[in-house]
Amino acid sequence: MNALRRHRALSRIWASEPGFRGWFSTVNHTDLGRMFLVTAFFFFVVSGLLAMLIRAQLATPHSAFAGPEIYNQIFTMHGTIMMFLFAIPTFEGLAVYLLPKMLGTRDLAFPRLTAYGYWCYAFGGTMLLVSMLLGIAPDSGWFMYPPLSGAIHSPGINTDFWLIGITFVEISAIAAAVEITVSILKFRAPGMSLDRMPIFAWYALVTALMILTGFPPLILGSVLLEVERAFGLPFFQAELGGDSLLWQHLFWLFGHPEVYIIFLPAAGVISTVLPVMCRTALLGYGWIVAAAVALAFLSFGLWVHHMFTTGIPHMGLAFFSAASTLVAVPTSVQIFAWIGTMWRGRPELHMPMLHIIGFFVTFVIGGLTGVMVAMVPFDWQVHDTAFVTAHLHYVLFGGFVFPVLAGIYYWLPHVTGRKRFFRLGEFAFVLVFTGFHVTFLAMHWVGLLGQRRRIPTYAPEDGWTAINLVSSVGSFVLAIGLAMVLLDIILNSVTAVRGRRDPWKAGTLEWAMMVPPPPYNFASLPQVTDREPLARDPDLALRLARGEGYLDSPRQGCRETLTVDVASGRPDFHVTYPSNTRLPIVMSAVTGLFFLSLLLKLYWLTPLALAGVAALACRWVWALGRRDDLPAQDVGHGLELPPAAATDRGPGWWGSVFLLTANATFFGSLLFGFAFLWTVAPGWPPPAWFTPSGLEVGIGLAGAATGPLAMRVAIRAVRRDANVLAALGLSFAAACAIGIACAAMMLRAPDPDGHAYGATLTVLGAYGLVHAVLAALMIAVLTAKVRGGLTSARRRADFPVAGLWIDYLAATATLILLAAHLPGFLP
Amino acid sequence: MGTTTLVTLAGCEGALSVVDPAGPAAREIATLWWVLLAGATLIFALVMVLTALPFLRRDGPGSERHGIRTWVIGLGLAFPMAVLAALLAYGLVIGERLLPRAGDEVVEVAATGSRDGWLFTYPDAADRTTSAVLHIPAGRPVDVVITTGDVIHAFWVPRLAGKLDAIPGHVNILRIEADAPGTYRGLSAEFSGAGYGDLTFTVTAHDAAGWTAFLAGEPE
Amino acid sequence: MTDVLRILVSPLLWLAAFSAVYGLHGSICGHGLTGTVSGVALPGLLLGAGYALAILAQLALLAAHYFWPHPSSDLVRFVSRAGGWVGLVVTIWTLLPVVSITTCS
Repeated sequence: MNALRRHRALSRIWASEPGFRGWFSTVNHTDLGRMFLVTAFFFFVVSGLLAMLIRAQLATPHSAFAGPEIYNQIFTMHGTIMMFLFAIPTFEGLAVYLLPKMLGTRDLAFPRLTAYGYWCYAFGGTMLLVSMLLGIAPDSGWFMYPPLSGAIHSPGINTDFWLIGITFVEISAIAAAVEITVSILKFRAPGMSLDRMPIFAWYALVTALMILTGFPPLILGSVLLEVERAFGLPFFQAELGGDSLLWQHLFWLFGHPEVYIIFLPAAGVISTVLPVMCRTALLGYGWIVAAAVALAFLSFGLWVHHMFTTGIPHMGLAFFSAASTLVAVPTSVQIFAWIGTMWRGRPELHMPMLHIIGFFVTFVIGGLTGVMVAMVPFDWQVHDTAFVTAHLHYVLFGGFVFPVLAGIYYWLPHVTGRKRFFRLGEFAFVLVFTGFHVTFLAMHWVGLLGQRRRIPTYAPEDGWTAINLVSSVGSFVLAIGLAMVLLDIILNSVTAVRGRRDPWKAGTLEWAMMVPPPPYNFASLPQVTDREPLARDPDLALRLARGEGYLDSPRQGCRETLTVDVASGRPDFHVTYPSNTRLPIVMSAVTGLFFLSLLLKLYWLTPLALAGVAALACRWVWALGRRDDLPAQDVGHGLELPPAAATDRGPGWWGSVFLLTANATFFGSLLFGFAFLWTVAPGWPPPAWFTPSGLEVGIGLAGAATGPLAMRVAIRAVRRDANVLAALGLSFAAACAIGIACAAMMLRAPDPDGHAYGATLTVLGAYGLVHAVLAALMIAVLTAKVRGGLTSARRRADFPVAGLWIDYLAATATLILLAAHLPGFLP
Repeated sequence: MGTTTLVTLAGCEGALSVVDPAGPAAREIATLWWVLLAGATLIFALVMVLTALPFLRRDGPGSERHGIRTWVIGLGLAFPMAVLAALLAYGLVIGERLLPRAGDEVVEVAATGSRDGWLFTYPDAADRTTSAVLHIPAGRPVDVVITTGDVIHAFWVPRLAGKLDAIPGHVNILRIEADAPGTYRGLSAEFSGAGYGDLTFTVTAHDAAGWTAFLAGEPE
Repeated sequence: MTDVLRILVSPLLWLAAFSAVYGLHGSICGHGLTGTVSGVALPGLLLGAGYALAILAQLALLAAHYFWPHPSSDLVRFVSRAGGWVGLVVTIWTLLPVVSITTCS
C-alpha cells in the first residue's frame, strides 16, 4: 500500500461528516480543538467589548453612560466570561488540538467525551449570553459573595444564571481534564517514556490534575448557594448557623489555583515555542517539570491571600503570606530558565517571539506586584482597589493572552497549512503592547489614590480624572490592536499562500504530519527515542506516511490506536475508538435541560431530564460493547497487542480514577464545609441534634462492607469466565442498602431550612444517595451486558470500573453515616 | 518635610491617597510601598536587561550544566528566596505592629455597615450615634469595632490605615489613628450592589478638648 | 502511576500539614483555647508540635527519595527528589509563623 492509498483509506475511516453537519457529530480532536478555540475567541471578543464599556464608563467623572444596575452586570460578566468562557476553554482547545499530535497518537482517550465537554461549554456559555441579552445577567461581581448574592439581597434570576450556567460549563472543564490526564498518561507513541514527553504535555498534565482538584470546591459552593437560594437551606446565612465566609473559602480554594490553571498551559506554550525561536533546546527540562509541579501545589496554599481583610488572625494570614511569597520561586525558576535558553541560542524576532517579549515584560511586572500584595499590610491598603485590578490584568494578560497569541502565531501554519502573507501582526503587536501598559500602569496609580474596583463612577474632586482618561484611551488602543490581531489571523487563514511542513524547523511530533493535519494525524505511529524526534530525523513525516511506523495498515472501518505503559512508554494494548455520533450533543442538550429546569424552577422537568441523561449514558456505554472476543492485533514491527477490553486497567478505569479524584475533592470540600461551619460559624450549636439510629447505621455499614466484596468476587469470576450474576446481584443489593440508609438520614435531618446543621446533613445524605443510585445503575447496566453476552474474560474492562465506583460509594457512605450518627452516640 | 515634597512631586496627595498618610498605620504601609516599589523597579530592570542582551550578543552556547547553575539555581532559586525572605520578615513585622493591642490610651468606637450607609456608636458616650461621620480623638489609638447589618462591607480610611471587612455574624477590630485633628474621607471597600459607589463616610479627628466636648454630647 | 505518585507525595504531605496546622490554628482561636503546660502556652505548644512533626515527616520522605530503590527513569528520580526538597523547604517556610507570630489577634 503506498502513501496516497493509505491516506485515502485512513481518511475514509476517520473523516467527519461533510459540511456543517459534521460539527454536530464529530468526535475528532482536531475538529473539536478548533471548535473550542473559535468559540473561546468569540467569548474573548464579547468580553473585550464589555471591558470597553467599563472603560468608557470610567473615562470621565459623573459618567451617565450606564446606570449602576447595568454597569454591575457588565463588570460581573466581563470577569466571568474571561475566566470561565475564554481562558479555561482556550487551554482545553489548545490541549485537545495539540496533545495527540505532540504525543504521536491519533486521538484523545475518550473522543465522545471531548465532544460532550465541548457542547456543555457551548450550551452553558449560550445560557450566560442569553441572560446578558435579556438584561438579567449576574451582577454581584465575578466572585459572587453571599449574602449579597443570596436570595434576600439578590432575589432576581441573575445570580441563578451564574451558579447554574457556570456549573454547566464546568462539566466541560472536568471532562477535558479527565480526558487530558488519561491521554497523556496512556495514549502516547511507542517508546515515549515520561522523560521523552514534550514539555507542553507535562504542563498540560499538571494543569489537568489541578482542574480536577481545583474546580470541585467551586462546584460545591455553587451547588450550596443555589440550594440555599432555591430551597432555603441556610449555608451562608449567619443568623441561621451558616457563614458567608464559607463561600469565600470555597471560592478562593478554587479561585487561586485557577490563576495557575490559566498560567501553566501558557507557560507550556512558552517552553515549547521559545527554544524553537532561539534555535536551541530548552534549558533545564527536569527543573522546569519540577517547578511546574511545585507551582501547582503551592497554588493550593494561597487562597486566603484573597481574604487578608476578612479579620482572620494575623498568624493565619502569615501562613498564606509566606506561601504567597514562595510561589514566586518556582515561577522565577521558569522565567530564568527561559532567559537562559535565550542566552544559549540565537533568538530570532518572528511573530511568536514578539509576543513572548510582551509576555516577559508584562508578566514580570505582574509577578512583582503580586509579591507586593502578598505582603499582608500592603494588601490591607490596596485590596479591592484598582491596584489589584491592574495587578491581576498584568498576570492574566501577561501570563496568558501574550503566550496564547505567541502560540497562535506559532501553530497557525499547522492549523491552516498556509504561511503568513499579510504583515499586519507586527503593527498590531505594538498597539496591543502599548495600549495594555498605558491602560493598566495608570490603574495601579489610581488604585493607590484610593479608587475602589467596581465603582460605577466618581467625582472630579477625587482627583482621578486625568489618570482614568489616560487609562481609557490606552484601553481603546489595546482594543484596536487586538482587533487587528484577529483580522491578521483571519486574513492569513483564508487567503495566504500554501506553506510548507514544519516552517519553524521544530523538533516535536506535531510537525511530523502534513498541514493542515489529516483527521487521523499519523498514517503510522512513530517509535520515539528522544524528546525531539523530528530534529533527529527530519524525514520522519515521510517515513510515517509511507507506513514505516506502527498500525500502518488500516482495518475496515476501525479507528485504531494503541496505549502505552505510563512510565516506560512500552506499548501495552490495542484500542478501537468510537466513530462519528450525535450522542454527545444530544446528551449535553439533555444535560442542559436538567440545568434549565433548575434555573426556571420547572421542577417537574428535573427528574425527566435526569432520567434522559441516565438513559443516554446507558446507550453510551452499551454502544462500544461487542458480542465476540477480539484476538490480539498485529500492530506492525512484529508486535501483537491484546485489546484494551481484555484488561482490568483499561482507559475507562483510568478515566474513573481521575473522575473520582475530582469527586473526592468535592466530597472533601463538603466535609471541610461541615467542619468549618461547626467550628467557626456563629449560631452553633444548633437547636436540635440529629437523632442517631443504630438500625440505619447498621444497614448502611453492612452495605458498605458487602458491596465492594461482592464486586471483587464478580471481577475474579469474570476473569475465569465463571458466572457473575449472583455476585452482581449482591452488590446491587448492597448499593440499595447504602442508598436507603442515606435517604433515611437525609429525610430525618432536623430542620434543614432552619439551621445550617440540618441543611448540611441533608446535602451529605443526598450525596450518598446519588452515589448509591449511580452505583446501582452501573451494576444494572453491567448485569444487562452480561445477560446480553457482551462480556467475557477478554471483554471484562467494565467490571473494575464499576468496582471503583462501589468502593468509592462504600468509603464515602461510611464517612457520611458516621459524621451524622456518631456525635449522637457519644455521651 | 522631605517626604511631603516627594509626595507632592509624585502627585500622591489626595483625600483618599494611600501614599499620603496621616496616621502611623498608613505611614508604615506607605513606607513599605516605597520599599517594594524601589525593589521591584531594580529587579524589573535586571530581568529586562537579561532578556534584551541575547538579542545583541553573538557568542556560542555554554554548557547545559553551567547554564543551570547560573540561571536556574543562582538567579531562579537563590536570588528570589533571599529577597523574599527579607521582604516577608519585613511585612510580618509591620503586620504585628499594626495589630490592635490593649493600652491605656486606646479609645473604642463601633462602626456598623449597611447598604444605606455607615452608622457609628461610642461606648464612651452611650447615647451618641452618628451616621456617615465617625468622630475620633486625634493622636490616640482608636479601635474600630466593625460589624454589618446586611451584606459584607469593608471599613477603609486610606490616609489612616488599611481596610477591614464587616462580615455578618463576625466582629472585627481595626486599629486606626490620626496624627492631627482634621477630616479624613472613608470608603466602603467591598462591593455591595447598587449604591456601592456612594457608600462613603468621613472621619473627624478632634483635639483633646473637642473630643471631650463630643463625648459630653455637644452638637457636632 | 507509582512514578506520578512518587513525584507528588512530598508536596501532598505539605498540603496536608499546611491545611491541618491552619485548621488547628483556626479552631484554637475560634474556641479561645488557653492554658499552659509546664510554663509554655498550650496553643503555641500544639502548633509548634504540629510544625515539628511536619518537618520530621518531610525529612523522612526526603531520605526515602534518596535511599528507596528507584526502578524508573532519571527524570522521575530527579523530579521526585526535587519534590522532596520542595516539600521540606515549603513546610519550613510557610509554617514558620507558628514560631514567630502572635497566635490569635
